Amino acid sequence: MAFQSRKKFCYFKENGMTEIDYKDVKLLRRFVTDQGKIMPRRITGTSAKMHRKLVRAIKQARNIALMPYTNTSTES
Amino acid sequence: MRYYESLYIVNPNYENDRLDEVMKMVADKLGEYKFSIINHRSWGKKRLAYSIEKHKYGSFILLHFETESVGNLNRFERFMVLQKQILRNQTICLDTKPEMKTEEKQVNESTVNEEKESTTKRTKDVTEDVTEDVTEDVTEDVTEDVTEDVTEQTEEVRE
Repeated sequence: MAFQSRKKFCYFKENGMTEIDYKDVKLLRRFVTDQGKIMPRRITGTSAKMHRKLVRAIKQARNIALMPYTNTSTES
Repeated sequence: MRYYESLYIVNPNYENDRLDEVMKMVADKLGEYKFSIINHRSWGKKRLAYSIEKHKYGSFILLHFETESVGNLNRFERFMVLQKQILRNQTICLDTKPEMKTEEKQVNESTVNEEKESTTKRTKDVTEDVTEDVTEDVTEDVTEDVTEDVTEQTEEVRE
């Protein structure tokens, strides 16, 4: 039985987005694990160019407390 | 000209008047450095992803401005850091000119008012329906009880 994986695609390219706003937390959460870690692009399928912009946006959102640096269960 | 976006978090305990004071203070400082303000509006009180100075919430204020002097920009950032009311601030450089959003606030207010009115209407309708149902049930119960009592009494009388 051959295992067929779903073909990955760049979310931003599909939706015609060229810029990522760090204030759009709802969008950024798609590319972050439950722990708050940035997901690698081998999993998300984001293009290299957009991944660089995405990483910058997530880090900016973290700095201004819109997104967590870590999301452990002990923190409330 | 270069365009910048600054997002800063003000102490959540500050209410409208004091928040306006902080905004005015920042605007005055911008005027001093000869920055031209494009937008300066409150983004609302939000829950912080992590606590800053033991505050779990913060009032976010969004500021767009344009300038050419980078030296003054560093001074402005220094000024923002030194303010006790401002918990955190972040200034980023924008590629394109941001849009003016002066009318949005009024539109939002009007939509909020409409929503409030509609919700109050709904609650009124619901309460009316509920009261009608309750009164109907109560009257039915009372009439049933009364008729039962009356029949019992008549039976006793016959005996």
